[in-house]
Amino acid sequence: MVVNGKNISYSYDCNDTSYALRNVDLSIEQGEFVCILGCNGSGKSTLVRHLNALLQLQHGELTIAGIDVSNENDIWRLRRICGMVFQNPDNQFVSSVVEEDIAFGLENYEVPREEIPEKVNSALLLVDMEGYDKRAPNSLSGGQKQRIALAGVLALEPDIIIFDEVTAMLDPDGKQEVLEMMRKLHKAGKTIIAITHYVEEAVHADSVILMHEGKMIASGKTRDILTDVQLLKIAEIMPPMAVRVYYDLLDAGVKLKECPITNEELAEKICKLP
Amino acid sequence: MNKLLAGRYLVGNSLLHRLDGRVKIICLLILIALVIGSRSVSSYAISVSAVCMIVLLSKLPPAYVLGPVGRLWLFFITIFLMNALFFDTLNPLYSWWIFYPSVAGIKQGFSVVVHVVLVLILSSVLTMTTSPTEVTTALESLIKPLKLIGVPTEDVAMIISIAIQFIPTLLEETEAIKMAQIARGARFESKKLKERAFSVFPLVIPIFLSAFKRADELSLAMEARGYRNAKKRTKRKKEPLSSKDYIALCICVALCLVQFLLLR
Amino acid sequence: MQITIDNLSYTYTDPSGQTVHALQSVSCSINPGDFTGIIGRTGCGKTTLILLIAGLLTPTKGHIFLDGRDINDKSYDRNLLRQSIGVVFQYPEVQLFETTVEKDVAFGLTYSRLGSKEKEDRIEWALETMGFDFEKIRKQSPLALSGGEKRRVAIAGVLAVKPKILIFDEPIAGLDPYGRQNFMELVSRLNDDGTTIIMISHNMDALAEYTKRLIVLDEGKVIQSGKTRDIFLGWGRDTRGTEPQQIASLISKGKNTLLDDVVTYDDLIFALKKQLLGVEQHE
Repeated sequence: MVVNGKNISYSYDCNDTSYALRNVDLSIEQGEFVCILGCNGSGKSTLVRHLNALLQLQHGELTIAGIDVSNENDIWRLRRICGMVFQNPDNQFVSSVVEEDIAFGLENYEVPREEIPEKVNSALLLVDMEGYDKRAPNSLSGGQKQRIALAGVLALEPDIIIFDEVTAMLDPDGKQEVLEMMRKLHKAGKTIIAITHYVEEAVHADSVILMHEGKMIASGKTRDILTDVQLLKIAEIMPPMAVRVYYDLLDAGVKLKECPITNEELAEKICKLP
Repeated sequence: MNKLLAGRYLVGNSLLHRLDGRVKIICLLILIALVIGSRSVSSYAISVSAVCMIVLLSKLPPAYVLGPVGRLWLFFITIFLMNALFFDTLNPLYSWWIFYPSVAGIKQGFSVVVHVVLVLILSSVLTMTTSPTEVTTALESLIKPLKLIGVPTEDVAMIISIAIQFIPTLLEETEAIKMAQIARGARFESKKLKERAFSVFPLVIPIFLSAFKRADELSLAMEARGYRNAKKRTKRKKEPLSSKDYIALCICVALCLVQFLLLR
Repeated sequence: MQITIDNLSYTYTDPSGQTVHALQSVSCSINPGDFTGIIGRTGCGKTTLILLIAGLLTPTKGHIFLDGRDINDKSYDRNLLRQSIGVVFQYPEVQLFETTVEKDVAFGLTYSRLGSKEKEDRIEWALETMGFDFEKIRKQSPLALSGGEKRRVAIAGVLAVKPKILIFDEPIAGLDPYGRQNFMELVSRLNDDGTTIIMISHNMDALAEYTKRLIVLDEGKVIQSGKTRDIFLGWGRDTRGTEPQQIASLISKGKNTLLDDVVTYDDLIFALKKQLLGVEQHE
């Protein structure tokens, strides 16, 4: 297990008993693509901000790749292993030149100056943005900005990449670009943790963690979670369209062999009916 | 809309782009002194032509350089009027209520506006031809002496560099919020002074809030990318000054001397 | 109010000195009581078009008429224009600034000629329409609310003026699916009460379900306009359609029988039932 958490609780206000997170257990395997699904205020961002110690652990235990997150001395080592891309593409650039921005993380880890240009270029290559090194992030599309932000994270060669609602402010094209990137990195062996409230972004994940009101209400294989409409209802998440169609047809007396989660599966199953 | 923001660094290869950052900052300070010292027609001529030369040398599109000036037109008119109407109350051309328009005032207003415009253009050229990292590095080495009195110079340089980059973003945001409030009925263009004064709040408060939110998110992103403090970072190579840097410095100093001689 | 857009162009110079043609010879009209969607890729001129309609930008060429009167004519009362057209911008929550929700919503009424009782009624109506309990919310600070609540307060501020035309720029961006649904239903109700709605969105499913007409923009030009359903059906198996449309096209490809006439989710279920069970009646 690359991520191992037990009994994590967190409250933004120490004197308050209202917990943003309550008794969450978390375990993620190396190379897994996990989607943390939950509506606004479900505690999903609070949870992942523990993984790179942006929030300090108040209760419970959490280790990332064997590093205890509550150990202050290991924070920088931890943040190199565990990269994070944020929601708002406009608020994560430190420089108005792409190459300088990507170099920012490398400079923080005192990577020798001579090695930086090469690392910057290979990071740009990974996100299909080669040739954009001299551009201003501000002049790019939303999807491109998020890919540059991702390149800044990838330059540090992290094992785990956290995507904190990165598609929320993008147009449909931008969303596709970024989701494509996640799948590509997953194939390359990275551990991917994606946070979202859009169920259609979860269908490609290996497993899903369902959050609601600070609690983890379910976790398991993507197919099991996304086809459990009762569970999704509790979490205030709309099931994928394929699942809705499956149940509506079931009500009308048409039973498909198995509940599909993607539109392609649904079409295939319907076509197989007599 | 993806458009270029006025005031942002524009990648280029002009002579000004290639000058050392430290030299550019020192030259900027010298030239500001030159501009502010202008009093006579001939000294104005020197300042204005020096600024024009610099804009030409930067090879930046003139519209881009003048953008920040254009955005502040209201500010300039206000300064001009304040001076023209209140500067010399003893020898007014005419007087009405609290207003005393005077020749000296008009002259003074004109000279203040010219000074501010020229300084603004010079500073814009600096930020437009110097990349943010270069600004940080240059500032860092220039303010190093302050370290002796305990100033964390690396952090200060980082802060200034990020702040410079945020100005265009905030200006753009101001435009967007202004549009939204006008749509809600705010009267920024009202002729009544009172309505106008009150219309500032709907603008200032959201911009402050948004600036804080941006700062908050940016600091999280910086931390997540391993930022501790400006000291523990890869050091930049200190490039020695080249002959063009020395020549640029000499020209600026020479201009300043000429100005000084003309003043006497 | 009838909106007539005649040969509208908007050109500006960007800071690098390049001329940008944001809109080119756009002509169309929006009838009173319409619910019109505007779609197109990012940068196609959608936002420019609504800013022009709201009189927040001045056209380079062409005219916009409200009930036959040119809004850019000097004699047109700006105040009346602001009262007639309400605009909800993308992420409207940033515009909040007052100390209480009540005061913020009242901002748009500052220059109206309503009495104080009428004003309060308006504020109460606007906040309740946006799903708030007026007594509970009125004295709260808008800045202490959650993101979604802030957005609703900001929209209430636009509603309070009771504009005859309401323009939304990407109002459902960032909302979760249930939030979207609630929002679209609310807007539909406003439309049923007679408000003309113009809405920019990237969300095809929401537009297909709720709007009556569509304007499709591409590179500053209107490439299509007409009834929403006709436009979606016209695209057929094009990838641009709604999700149910894409499912229908996948099924049609595999099964060799066409699932025609599918735009919304209900259409899809109906078509499937018809094909699989032979059921004819729509639920």
